[in-house]
Amino acid sequence: MKKLALAVSLALSFGVAQAQDKTIKISGFGAKTGPVRSFGVNSEAAMLAAADVINKAGGVKLADGSKAKVVVDFYDDRCTAEEGISVIRRIAGTDALVAVGPTCSNVAEPLFGILQKKVGDASDSGLQFPVFTDVAIKVGLARISEWAFRNVPNEMTMYSSVFYWLHKTRPELKTVYGGVEEDFAHSRATWHVVMKDRAQANDFKVVGESKWLLADTNFATQVREMKKANADIVAISAHPFSMCGALKEMARQGVKPKVLVGLTSSSSLETLQGCAKQAQGIIIPTSFAPVTKEGKFAAQTTAKFKGAADLHSMAAWENMFILKDVMESEKITGKDVQGDRRKIRDGLAKLKQTKGLMGVTKRTDDREADKPYLFVQAKGNEWVVLHDPL
Amino acid sequence: MDFYFGLVQIIGVHTLLGLSAYIVLLTGQVSLAQAGFFAVGAYAAGMLTVLAGWHLVPALGASAVCGAGVACAVGFPALRIKGLMLVIATLAFGEGVRLFFFNFDYQVARGDIKVGPLGGEGFRQIRFFPEHGWTTGEVMLFIWVFVVAAMALLWWFDRSRYGSVLRAVGEDELAAQSVGINLTAVKVSAMTVGGAIAGVGGGIYAHYTTHIEHTSFNILLATFAIAYPIVGGLRNVFGTLLAVIFVQAFLIEGLRFLGDWRNLLFGALIVLAMNLRPSGFLGARRRA
Amino acid sequence: MLDFFQSVSDGVLFGATYALIGIGFTLVFGVMHKLNMAYAAASVGGAYAGLLVLKVMSAAPPVLVFLGAFAAGGVLGWLVYLTCFHFIPLSSPLATLMSTVGMLLLIDEIIVHVTEGMPQNYPAMFDDVMLRAGDFTMRGDLLLVFGVAVLCMVALMLLLYRTRLGLATRAVSQQPVAARLCGIRLEQVNATTFIITGLLGGIAGALIGASVGTLSPLLTTPLTVKGLIVTVIGGLGSVPGAIVAGLLVGGFENVLQLYRGVTERDLYVMLLLFVFLTFRPDGIFAPKGGRD
Repeated sequence: MKKLALAVSLALSFGVAQAQDKTIKISGFGAKTGPVRSFGVNSEAAMLAAADVINKAGGVKLADGSKAKVVVDFYDDRCTAEEGISVIRRIAGTDALVAVGPTCSNVAEPLFGILQKKVGDASDSGLQFPVFTDVAIKVGLARISEWAFRNVPNEMTMYSSVFYWLHKTRPELKTVYGGVEEDFAHSRATWHVVMKDRAQANDFKVVGESKWLLADTNFATQVREMKKANADIVAISAHPFSMCGALKEMARQGVKPKVLVGLTSSSSLETLQGCAKQAQGIIIPTSFAPVTKEGKFAAQTTAKFKGAADLHSMAAWENMFILKDVMESEKITGKDVQGDRRKIRDGLAKLKQTKGLMGVTKRTDDREADKPYLFVQAKGNEWVVLHDPL
Repeated sequence: MDFYFGLVQIIGVHTLLGLSAYIVLLTGQVSLAQAGFFAVGAYAAGMLTVLAGWHLVPALGASAVCGAGVACAVGFPALRIKGLMLVIATLAFGEGVRLFFFNFDYQVARGDIKVGPLGGEGFRQIRFFPEHGWTTGEVMLFIWVFVVAAMALLWWFDRSRYGSVLRAVGEDELAAQSVGINLTAVKVSAMTVGGAIAGVGGGIYAHYTTHIEHTSFNILLATFAIAYPIVGGLRNVFGTLLAVIFVQAFLIEGLRFLGDWRNLLFGALIVLAMNLRPSGFLGARRRA
Repeated sequence: MLDFFQSVSDGVLFGATYALIGIGFTLVFGVMHKLNMAYAAASVGGAYAGLLVLKVMSAAPPVLVFLGAFAAGGVLGWLVYLTCFHFIPLSSPLATLMSTVGMLLLIDEIIVHVTEGMPQNYPAMFDDVMLRAGDFTMRGDLLLVFGVAVLCMVALMLLLYRTRLGLATRAVSQQPVAARLCGIRLEQVNATTFIITGLLGGIAGALIGASVGTLSPLLTTPLTVKGLIVTVIGGLGSVPGAIVAGLLVGGFENVLQLYRGVTERDLYVMLLLFVFLTFRPDGIFAPKGGRD
C-alpha cells in the first residue's frame, strides 16, 4: 500500500512538473535609452508584474487542457527605426508568440510598415508576427498592417470631452491659445488635428498658437505672443521638458491663464520631477489613474518590479491579460509557433471589447482602442483625479 | 534566419555610409556631412518609387546622382576650410539638410489618400520591397550587390594612381601640390564619389525601413558615418567593413545579453578602441 | 518695432549661455588644437552632479549647487583628458576626436541611467527677477549669466597672461616641442587646461540648467552644436570672440524665429555660420596664434 501511494504521488508530482515545464513567451520591446528610458523601464516592469500574477494563478490554459507559464523578456530598441525592425525580426526568430511595444511612434511606423499588410496575401513578403502596442500613440498607425494592434488612448475622444466639460462647467471661458512642439509627430498632430479642432467644435475661439521644438530652451518670444493673446485657456501639446520650459517662462512673464490643459503623455512623474510648482493645476485627460480596485492592485504589483504605473505602463499590463484571454479563447497549442501567432492575431482582430483597468475598453475596426478616461490635475506632488466624465 | 538576414542588411547599408566617409577621409577631410547626402538619396529614391512608380534600381541610380550632385556643390566651398573647422562646417551642413527635410512637403493624391513627404511627419509607406514580394534574404543580396560594387570600386581606386593621389593629398597637401597634383580636382572628386555612395545607401535605407523622417538623419548618424572609417582604419576598405561589423553586430546586437549595460559599454568601448589602436583596426601603413 | 528690439534683447541675453559654453570649446581648441566633442556633455554632467548637493542637504541654496557643479565639472574635465588625450598620441587627431565622441555617448548614457531620462528641476538665482521699462522686459537671471561669462573671461585672461601656468599654456599652444625643450611638462599643462575648462564647463552647465529651469539629457546635442558654431564664428582660441559670437548667435536666432518661425530658425543659424566661413573664416577675433 505504501509503495503504491509513493508511486502514485511520484507519478503525480512528475506529471505536475511536466506541466510546469510548459512555457509560452511574450516579448516586450521599447526604449530603454535616452530621454524616454523611463517608458521602457515601466513597461517592462508592468509586463513582468502581470506575468507573475498570471503564473501565480496557474498560467495560460492551452488547447490540450494543460497550463503553461508565461515567460516575458524585454528588448531595448533605443528609439531608432533600424534597431526596432532588427528587434522585431529577432523576436520573430525566437519562440515568442506576440510582442508588446514599441515605445516610440517613430519606431512603430517603420516597424508596422515591414509587417505583412493584409493577412493571407501570398504576394506580400512582409513579416507575419502580431504586435500589440502599449505606448506609441501617434494617430492612425494600426491601419498600416493587419498584424498591428494598439491599446492606446484615443485623443480625439478625450480632448473632445475635456473641452465639452470646460465649456459646460466654466461658461465664462471663451478663448483658447495653443502651445505646440512642432518637431515631434505626436505632439504636433495632437495640437493641430485634435486639440484645436475639438476646442472649436465646443464653441471656443482659438486665438492663436505658439510653436517650439522638443529640445528648445528659450521660450521668450512664444510666451510674449501668448501674453498678447490673453486667452482664458492655454493648451500645451508638448512633452515634459519643453512644457516645463514654457511654463517657467510663463511664470516669469506673468502669464496666468484661467485654465491650463496638457498633453496626455505629460500626465506622468516626469512633469512633476521637472516643474511641479509651475505645473500646478494643469488638467490632462488620461486613460489611467489608480482609482479602481484593479488599478490600485496593478500599480502596487508593478511597483514591486520597480516600475511606475501610468497610462503607458498600465496599457502594457492590460495587454498581458488581454493576450492571456485571447490565447485561451483561440486555443493555442503551445507547440506550433507560427500557427499560434496567427491564432493570436485573429483573436485580437475579433475582439469587440476588452477589460481595462478603468472599465470596459471598446476595440475599433482599425485595430485601435477606445479607452475609458478621466481628467487628472497636478496638485502638490502628485496627479489627483479632477473629474470622471464617464 | 530572417533576423540574421536583417542584420546583414543593416551592416550593408552602414558599410555604404562608412565607405562614403572613408573616401573623403583619405584626402584628409573629416566630413560630418555624409548623413546629409544619405538623406538626399533616401528622399529621392523614396519619392521616385512611391510618387513616380519607378523601379528601385533606376531610383537608386537617381539617388546616386542626387547625392553626388549635392556633394559636389559642398566640395567646392569645403576647399577653403581646413582641419577641424571642416568638421564643424560639415556638421552644420548635415543639420541644414535635416532641417530642410523637416520643412519639406510634397504630397500627391493616390486615390483617397495622400502620399509623399510631409515635413515633420515624415515620408511613410515606402513599401517597394514587401509590395513586390521580396523576401528578407533577397533584399539582403540586393543590398550587398551594391556594397560589393562600392568596395570593389574603392579597392580599385586604391590600387590605381587615383588612390595614391588621394592619399598623397591626405598626408601632406603642400607636398602634393608641389608635385603638380590638382588639389581641387582631387578633393572635390572624392567628395562627389562619397556623395554618390551615400546617396545609394540612403535610397536603400528608405526602402528597408519603409518610413523616413528628418530625425532619422541626425547628428548621431553623421557621427556613426565618420566613426566607421576612423575606428576601422584607413589601410583599405575592409577596415571600414570590420568597424561596421564591430559596431552593429558586436556592440549593438551581440551585447544585448548585457541588458542595460550594453548602452554604457557602447561609448566606453569606443573610447577603449581609440586608446588601444589610435590608427584604427586596420591602420594605414606608415613608412616611418 | 518694439517687437524687434524685444526679440533681439531676449535672444542676446539667452546667447550669454551659448557664450559660456563656447568659451570652453574655444579654449581647448586654442591650446591643444583639438576638438573636445564631449565638452557640452561633461558640462551638463557637472550640472547633474551639482544636484547631488540637494540630496545631502535638501534646502541648500542654489550657490552650493552651482559650486557642486563647478567641482564636478573639473573632475569630469580631467577624466575626459585622461581617457581621450593623455594616452593617445597627439599625432592621431582622428583618434582623439572619436574618443571624445565615445565619452560624449558614455556621459549621456550615465546621465540617462541615473535619472531614468526624466527631466530634473534645477535651482535658479534671480529667475523671478524681470527688469521692466514699460512693456520692455529683460530677464534678470540671464544678466547674471552674462556677468559670470565676463568674469570668467577676465579670470581666464588674468590666468593666461599673468601667471606662470598661463605662460606655460601659451607656450605649449604655440610651440609644443620648443616648450618641452624649455622644461615645460606637456602632460601637466594639458591636464590643467582640461581641469580649468572643466571647472568652467561645470559653471556653464549649472547656469544653463538654471536658465532653462530643467535639466534633461536632451540638452547635450543642441549645446554641442551651438558651442561649436560659436567657437568658429568667434575665432578658434579667442575667448572674447566666443562671448561676442554667443551673443550674436543668440540674438540672430531669436530674431529669425520671430520672422520666419521655429521650424526654419536653425537653418538660418547654419547659414550664418556658412557666411562667416566664406567671408571671415578666422572668426570675429582671429586669435593671436603662433607661427604655425
